[in-house]
Amino acid sequence: MDRLDTLRGPVPPRPHDARAIAALAANPGCERRAVLDAAGVDKDATAAHLGFPAPFGQSAFAITRGNAFEALVKENGCAELLRLLRDLLGLPVESAGYTDLGDMAGDPPAHRRHEHTRRLIDRSAAEADDDGTLYDHPLLRLEIAGHTAYLEPDVVAFRLGGAFHVVEVKSFAVVDGQAEPEKVAAAARQAAVYVLALRTMLEELGHDPLRVSHEIVLVCPENFANRPVATLVDVRRELAVLRRQLARMTRVGRIVDALPPGLTFDLAPGPDGAPARPVAELRDAVRRVDARYAPECLSTCDLCFFCRDEAAGRGSTELLGRQVRDALGGVATVDEALGLADGSIAPGEGQEEIARLLRLAGRVYAEAG
Amino acid sequence: MSTLAALARLRAVRTGTAQRLATVRHCHLSDRPMVLIPLRMAGEAAAPLAVMAGTDPARPRLLVVPQPRDRDLRFGFAAELAGVLLPYIEGMQKATETVERRGAEPYERSVDAPQIIVPNAGSAAFVRMLGRSTRFRRAEGPYAVHPSVPTLGRWLTYLGQRAQHPGSSLLLAATEALSLHWATGQSRLEDANLASLVGWIDPPAGMSGAQAAREAEDPLVWPPAGPATDPGFDNEVLAPAIRAYEETRSERAAARVREAVRSQLDPVWRLVWRAVGLLEALPAAPGVASRWEADRGSFSAFAAQLAEGAPPQPKRDGAVGAASRLARMERARSSYDAQRAYDDALVMAEYRLTGEAFAGTVVAAEPDRAEGEGRGRKLRPLVTVRTGDPVRVAPGTRLGTPQRRGQQAEVVSVAGGEVTLKIVKGMGRGASATPGAVPEVGEPVCYAALLEEFQPPPALPAPEDTPWTHGGPPPENPPEAESSEEEWS
Amino acid sequence: MSERLDELEERISALRGEIRRAVRARESALTRSLRADLRTAERAWDLALAAHEPPSPGEPHDSRAGGGASARGRGAGPPPGREPEAGGGAGPMLPVRERVHQALTLLGVPSAARMLVAVHGALRAGPLKGTQLASLRRDEERSFRSSPFARPYYLCAALTDRLSASRGLFAVSTWPLERRVVGPLSARVDFLTSAVRVAEHVQRISGPGGEAPPAARRLLARMAQSIPGAVPAGSGFPGAEAVARAARAELDVHAADDAAARAEIARACERLTDAERLFGGTILSLAAAGRPGAERET
Repeated sequence: MDRLDTLRGPVPPRPHDARAIAALAANPGCERRAVLDAAGVDKDATAAHLGFPAPFGQSAFAITRGNAFEALVKENGCAELLRLLRDLLGLPVESAGYTDLGDMAGDPPAHRRHEHTRRLIDRSAAEADDDGTLYDHPLLRLEIAGHTAYLEPDVVAFRLGGAFHVVEVKSFAVVDGQAEPEKVAAAARQAAVYVLALRTMLEELGHDPLRVSHEIVLVCPENFANRPVATLVDVRRELAVLRRQLARMTRVGRIVDALPPGLTFDLAPGPDGAPARPVAELRDAVRRVDARYAPECLSTCDLCFFCRDEAAGRGSTELLGRQVRDALGGVATVDEALGLADGSIAPGEGQEEIARLLRLAGRVYAEAG
Repeated sequence: MSTLAALARLRAVRTGTAQRLATVRHCHLSDRPMVLIPLRMAGEAAAPLAVMAGTDPARPRLLVVPQPRDRDLRFGFAAELAGVLLPYIEGMQKATETVERRGAEPYERSVDAPQIIVPNAGSAAFVRMLGRSTRFRRAEGPYAVHPSVPTLGRWLTYLGQRAQHPGSSLLLAATEALSLHWATGQSRLEDANLASLVGWIDPPAGMSGAQAAREAEDPLVWPPAGPATDPGFDNEVLAPAIRAYEETRSERAAARVREAVRSQLDPVWRLVWRAVGLLEALPAAPGVASRWEADRGSFSAFAAQLAEGAPPQPKRDGAVGAASRLARMERARSSYDAQRAYDDALVMAEYRLTGEAFAGTVVAAEPDRAEGEGRGRKLRPLVTVRTGDPVRVAPGTRLGTPQRRGQQAEVVSVAGGEVTLKIVKGMGRGASATPGAVPEVGEPVCYAALLEEFQPPPALPAPEDTPWTHGGPPPENPPEAESSEEEWS
Repeated sequence: MSERLDELEERISALRGEIRRAVRARESALTRSLRADLRTAERAWDLALAAHEPPSPGEPHDSRAGGGASARGRGAGPPPGREPEAGGGAGPMLPVRERVHQALTLLGVPSAARMLVAVHGALRAGPLKGTQLASLRRDEERSFRSSPFARPYYLCAALTDRLSASRGLFAVSTWPLERRVVGPLSARVDFLTSAVRVAEHVQRISGPGGEAPPAARRLLARMAQSIPGAVPAGSGFPGAEAVARAARAELDVHAADDAAARAEIARACERLTDAERLFGGTILSLAAAGRPGAERET
């Protein structure tokens, strides 16, 4: 624990949201990401200070659209959502309860809000009959490598047939029954985080965690109108990946133990809040933890440009993507692969086949081109 | 990815410039293509922000929706786009040729067809989406639109669907077309950025491809080629401009949105034309003409359907429609793959690596060898080829050869780097082989287990006879009433 | 003069570029100072423009012929006070609180700002904007606390089962407490009640055989979407009578349970002060769970 605090420096850990937790599953083999995330390091600020600001940004238009759609689904006590659930899950008319768990006086701290959510979900789980209540703005909790992450689903959990379902509202369109698969996958990964958090909570309360359904309700606008449509999405696979990755993160201790003592990613902000740590020093510190760069990082990790540059410096074949690496049978560097192809490097053990293929490719390429 | 393509990427990394994956151009390039760059408002499925389009690199047309959330402005924009696109498409229908067919009525085929070039696959998908959002609109009744809007929708839908047909060139995505011909020293994901891809292929003087590609990633230098805009641009430039328009609805504010959008599209416009130039510099492969002919046929057939007043394309294919479309695509895929290999030694090289093809030198030939007696006597010349390639074709396999298109040979035996073949088709019908039909000793040859011959379409029931197991016949009136009224917001 | 404009436009676009660069590099201090420069440049542009173009009658900027003291602050959002207090163009304009009161009286149940805006826009003349409601409740509370019950009515909060002010719901002080508190079924019941009230109002304004204005019918159609049996098969607008009937049918299912829950919460309100009863208490315990003694918020 102390070790992770040292790594982060004297700033509060960056809170994990569900999107960030879901992104952990994107590249489970990357130690750098595992350590930085476990320590709650602000990767975005780190990348910017290293001179490789992350290439992402969110358009205000997309944010506005997302908020407007969510408001539409939830207005009037989730009247639209209720209509969808009645159609999709056969929710009986009597089940029309709605509780806004976020509606507390003042601006209570997260742990208070979580307690409130916990108490009401506990009561609901203990009751024999189905009240079919929608719980809006629940605040859930998940332990990430010893840190508590509070998760605010823009979602609602409700209860039907003794089961809780997680509802995820997304503003990407479903056109003629189809949505962009990557977006659905991202929504499923995110919802899986909520399912896991809700299951953990039920278990702690002494209820059966499996009462949280692995089928989440995805609500999206249909076609080009604003009218919402609901679909059930099975998130069992996402749950399995997430569990595995969280287990890895609890084992992050082993990686951390192997790091030099006193190592820190502290940005040492000056009086104006701007990072004052010498860049070269920070760069060396970050490089102490191995990264596993893949082009997919370019859309999921703040440090992607830094790691890509590092991989380029090593002449790593990781730069070219998984398909190329597969075709190269795992040869690690560009120089090695080209050496095998032109015969200037003798194949090592187990490399005979790929060396033969590369030499053949070299010859055929020369003949044909 | 093949080892060959992987090797090409490695060499691109080493040399800092893109490597050729093809010696000839495998897509058709029109004399008068229309470049079309659509932009979409972030967060929306089909809210167009702007389109830059035109057939003259010096004179792009810019159409902008100053408030993309405004439904009326959007349909106004769709009508404007129809005004640019439809005359181009209709102009191509004017000159036709009569095509005679064995056992069928002759038909009229346009001598040319439209070619729309968009920056990337995302733009092509957005073209489809725009087609979907406009083709069910109606020119009368509630929410009436300009009559050109549904026609535009049907054409965009047609072009979007045809783009999925292997080898079609009616709607080309520049990144896809370039990636077919060059390998860069970056990943496929990064190749989806047109500026970066062009940077690798054709870097500015004094810069390596790798450097040019990195520079191209800065959205301030190279705005994204769409359909998404740069979030920084959205937040800092576009949002204030749209807000000002929303407040005043003035010409001046509309012009400001327009100029903001133009700043993003101008560089992309030049870039797409550069991509066209790069493709143009490659000589066309022989197969391109016949594939373009198929495109022209498909185009003429759709134009005829439209003229006959066919309903808009359904939201989903019926069972028979889907099955026959799938079968068509599969046949097109295998014939496209074979054609490219026979047209291009570099494409053939990939098959040589996997053992489906081999190249070598003829070491023995029996041009006048025959099988059978009397009337059953058939000319069956034998040829033995020595090769260093790893041959993985079983005896009995039919092979074709780029040196003699139309000829077919059967594998007799493979042993010790020598392959013995029996020529079974395309060597003449006489008692002895046509001169030159059988390769001579010492001649370099290549044979491949790829056949480009015509395969008959599978027998499928007519749509009205769809069995109930497959959902029964599709409904008579696919354009549901609700579709013309569905919001586009 | 137009060179001055060109220069300014160049400067504005250069500044926008620098801002985007600074945002990308996460240089927040620099971004802030650049934004300030941008605003200055934009103001100068506005002024130069006003001077450059002689104001013509009917043009929106003829009101600033005085020299541009009312420059619009392009790109920086609408400055406060520019919102027209007069809307719709016809009739005397009611203050915001009265417009809200009207809408609430029409609906008869605690309602969210979104709903009030929608109802006022569709059924009443003149616009009501969400932003105008933001500080309304706070102002009302201040007024009540300085001189309690001085006004005939106050726009107050709906109370949750924790006896605290509900975040988004507005209510009227003259309503009985049972109507101003919300239990688990109240959101649904109140929505259905609103639908009945809107349907009745639509019937009233359309008269026999007549048609209500399109905005009113659209509002009703939107509400009808989520009421079982309210939307006719096929397309077209649902009839007001059918909507009211369908809403009442579902109301019958929930009414008794909801009334019981609300009565219980209302009873718990007895220990609140007058002001708390209107604007919310600070007790964090659950009234329904019947735990007196409640932790007080720190």
